[in-house]
Amino acid sequence: MTTTQENRWIGVSAPRREDAPLIRGRGRYIADIEPAGTVHMAILRSPYAHARINGIDTAAAEALDGVHCVLTADDLEGIGDFPTIWRLPGQKECTTPAFAPGKARYVGEPVAAVVADSRYLAEDALDLLDVDYEILDHVVDVEAALADGAPVINEDMGDNTIIEYTFPGINALGVAGDIDGAFEEADEIVSGRFKVGRYSGVALETRGHVAEWDDLRQTLTLHSGSQVASLLRTELAAALGIPETSVRILTPNIGGAFGNQWDRYPEDILVSLASMKLGRPVKWIEDRREALQATVHGREQLQEWQLAASSDGTVLGLKGRVLSDQGAHLHSVGIGPAWVTGAAAVNQYKIANYHCDVVGVATNKTPNSTFRGFGGPEAMFGIERMMDKTARRLGIDPAELRRRNMIQADEFPYFSPGGAVYDSGNYPAALEKALEAVEYDKVREEQQSLRDQGVYRGIGISSYIHVSGFGPSAILGILDYYTGGYEGSTVKIDPHGRATLYTGMIPMGQGTETTLAQVAADHLEIDIANVRVVWGDTDQTPYTGFGSAGSRSNVAAVAVIKAIEEIKAKAVRIGAGLLEADPDDVAYADGRISVKGAEEMRSLSLADVAQQAYWAHKLPEGDQPTLEATYVYDPANFTTACGTHVAVVDVDIDTGKIDWVKYVVVDDAGTIINPLLVEGQIHGALSNGLGGAMLEEFVYDEESGQLLSSTLMDYLVPSFTDLPDFEIHHLVTPSPHTEGGFKGMGEAGCFPAAGALANAVTDALSHLGVEADQTPVTPSRLWSLIDQAGG
Amino acid sequence: MKPAVFDYSAPESIAEALDLLAEHGSGAKVLAGGQSLVPMLNFRLARPAHLIDVNGVDSLSYISANGSLRIGAMTRLTAIGESGDVAGAHPVIPAAVAQIGHRAIRNRGTIGGSVAHNDPAAELPAVLMALDAEVTARSVDGERVIGMQDLIEDRLFETTLGDTELLTEIRIPAAAAGSTFGFQEFARRHGDFALAGVAAVITTDGSTITQAALGAFGGTHATRLPTAEAALVGAETGDAAFAAAGAGAAADFPATSDVHGTAEYRSHLINVLTVRALNDAAGQAGGGNG
Repeated sequence: MTTTQENRWIGVSAPRREDAPLIRGRGRYIADIEPAGTVHMAILRSPYAHARINGIDTAAAEALDGVHCVLTADDLEGIGDFPTIWRLPGQKECTTPAFAPGKARYVGEPVAAVVADSRYLAEDALDLLDVDYEILDHVVDVEAALADGAPVINEDMGDNTIIEYTFPGINALGVAGDIDGAFEEADEIVSGRFKVGRYSGVALETRGHVAEWDDLRQTLTLHSGSQVASLLRTELAAALGIPETSVRILTPNIGGAFGNQWDRYPEDILVSLASMKLGRPVKWIEDRREALQATVHGREQLQEWQLAASSDGTVLGLKGRVLSDQGAHLHSVGIGPAWVTGAAAVNQYKIANYHCDVVGVATNKTPNSTFRGFGGPEAMFGIERMMDKTARRLGIDPAELRRRNMIQADEFPYFSPGGAVYDSGNYPAALEKALEAVEYDKVREEQQSLRDQGVYRGIGISSYIHVSGFGPSAILGILDYYTGGYEGSTVKIDPHGRATLYTGMIPMGQGTETTLAQVAADHLEIDIANVRVVWGDTDQTPYTGFGSAGSRSNVAAVAVIKAIEEIKAKAVRIGAGLLEADPDDVAYADGRISVKGAEEMRSLSLADVAQQAYWAHKLPEGDQPTLEATYVYDPANFTTACGTHVAVVDVDIDTGKIDWVKYVVVDDAGTIINPLLVEGQIHGALSNGLGGAMLEEFVYDEESGQLLSSTLMDYLVPSFTDLPDFEIHHLVTPSPHTEGGFKGMGEAGCFPAAGALANAVTDALSHLGVEADQTPVTPSRLWSLIDQAGG
Repeated sequence: MKPAVFDYSAPESIAEALDLLAEHGSGAKVLAGGQSLVPMLNFRLARPAHLIDVNGVDSLSYISANGSLRIGAMTRLTAIGESGDVAGAHPVIPAAVAQIGHRAIRNRGTIGGSVAHNDPAAELPAVLMALDAEVTARSVDGERVIGMQDLIEDRLFETTLGDTELLTEIRIPAAAAGSTFGFQEFARRHGDFALAGVAAVITTDGSTITQAALGAFGGTHATRLPTAEAALVGAETGDAAFAAAGAGAAADFPATSDVHGTAEYRSHLINVLTVRALNDAAGQAGGGNG
């Protein structure tokens, strides 16, 4: 018999059960799947930023030996586009078509596809496609796109403004305050203009699909790396015009998704359509060049902020304008990330008076859509830079300025003027803990003496909130976000008392299988080895409303807990009958069903009860045979993870090189299920955030509209040697609004990273007045600022 | 990212390789370590009709230090970086090799491949230029020896090698007694192609510089830095001469802009790196490698 302590699994650094097969080469990725008779698809993508397609001559490609079919826009009759499912009021209608609709709008937009015996042959055939392009003027800059006379990218929109949304908005819950009064009352008005660079997930495994159409059964099985199989199934069936009951999505291991795989893409349709045409399996694996051009990009914004402050450092008001570079068309989530930027920009501070205009702008670039952080890191960059600028202007230490404006621990729930309700947290405690860990006062002293020696050391503080667990379905409804916010879980206890858990979550590296097994084992109080987690098959697993963003464990975990509560109640009812006791006198504890006060004498194991549940010889009246339950949990509120990061760097003013000295993280994600995995997630998300702060950027050439960072020699992903050692500390403020007190944390690490780095660099160069207001902070950009400042 | 169709041969001797080159000429491409050619094939930027894989020609892999240093074209970069003979003769070479890509790339990449590919951001062409190296080119018609300067001129991603010639050996004359070196490059991440870099080899007569050879990379082509060299020869070692050399280097350097940095930044970098390399070289004087 086990003890309670042995089988409490929440809070334990259980090793990842995913690791053994992945490390030992038994992972199975899309590229490993190749059913008999598979043929291969390659896609012709526009080499131009903006060009009308007057015709495509496919004859030579079709004549090549080994080519099975060529698809162009002419083959799309009866095939629908993928919708933009977040449709804010005033947002112009926009969809994602399978092929460029008469004209190509960005370099990389699909124009035609070839299916052949091998990928080699398919690429040979691409060379033989003759497209009659009429090159049009292009625009790859948001301000240029808004200027009079700019080329209009989507004619049906009339111009390149897709939406202008104002916070506090008609749909937001926030209160506007008196923004004009705040600015009139202010002693100081501080302005900032920030360019947040365009980058993305750039997963190790690129996208890919294998589609298997069975013409006799009229079913489509799609092996896909999508991180949201339920939504893909619904939307794919609609686009293809076949019943959703005919579509099954199977998800193998995923080598990174980072939100990019949340969206629906043209290739999802193309590979399915090709399989339906040919009646045989069709495989498409995105190559790296395609991945950089055609998987959604993220982040890029031009932000202008003004902050009104009194001389004592009180922030009276904040107003801003955010131009979001959406690329050529809205993708699955519309301007969602930029909306989140507007909603989150007041961050941890009591800013009563707030106004922000968010403008979605079309440019001839790859669509900007779902990417880890989803608008939050962009918001944190702007506000945290503004806090440092304000501190410098007022002559107040940046830590002290934050201290004076933070929402206090006893002020929750806090209704933010951005519209979110912050559930809980202790922002000042996280700040103090971070300052203590970094030895703030000591570093400040050293900074002075080092500067005399020509060493330019800077300290950058960056605090953050991460609104996670997105979100109560009713709120999504208010926001015109056409999906639900719930997660479902089915738990089945087998006749031997072991549990199988079915989840619609798709593990993509964050340890979902392990953490959900921990939650189930903890609540059933059984050995974690007796819990199996099933995922990745829409025929078996529950529908998930929102899908599996990295911060969804908190919602999915509650669905598991709720399903297990039902199972335990049923086990108690069955057990009471077997023990000949009143159910009120029987309790579930230690994985056993026992008469209270007589646990040693009158007690049954979960297996004993489960066996009876399956025999069903004498079940309580009203109970069905077997022992299983399904629960679909719709969260009551968002949860708000939070924390403070402090970066310490040295800047080489001769080269613009940034050297790491220290990086301290204090995070608060509520109750921690698995500290080891939380640490791993922080490392990953921070690497992602610092990558965008220093290295990663999709650069477009203004002249040609070409994507210049089109290989991994030009688009630089950080490796270990480019990153600091992360010193991580936790605070635990359980969420009062979710069972278990969990908050999402898979994305949080990337939220404050760019602000911390830019604030540290700016601090290091304060004697020159250099301000790092554009990401990534590259050596070339930084040296140019130093040079202009006369350094 | 799959290559177009090509024919493939794997000769086992130099003579066999030369016959194949004579037969296929400009339609052929020689495959050495493949660290640049294979990606170019996959991007279909290179579309040779015939690939001649010389990885099986064992006689092209050797290091011989006997007066001058001779290195077979197919010698792997790791072998060169770890060779005591190379380090003894020209310690600037292992210093440069350590900065080439990552270990896996150096295990496969070859000195001949690097020189013949002539990427303007590659370390070795510039280092070999500074060392006054020569290469041996062979064809069925015979053999010729080409100085690095004449091999590269101001070309990028090509050399003056003929279509039927195979680069077989790199010869580096012995270093001047008492010479010291500095090697500096700047890349955004370790292992990446540098935005700018410089190899400096100087010889001093007490405190006066008697010889100076500087090779730079990361511009539009590998190049010596004659203005910087002229500023150094005859000058006293020290800040004044090194600053003049840095400015000269910036004047000589064929800087260009790309996603990683502007031409202006690169010109500034070559100045800074030249001064740093010269300080490194001066720091070795006295304890040097002569």
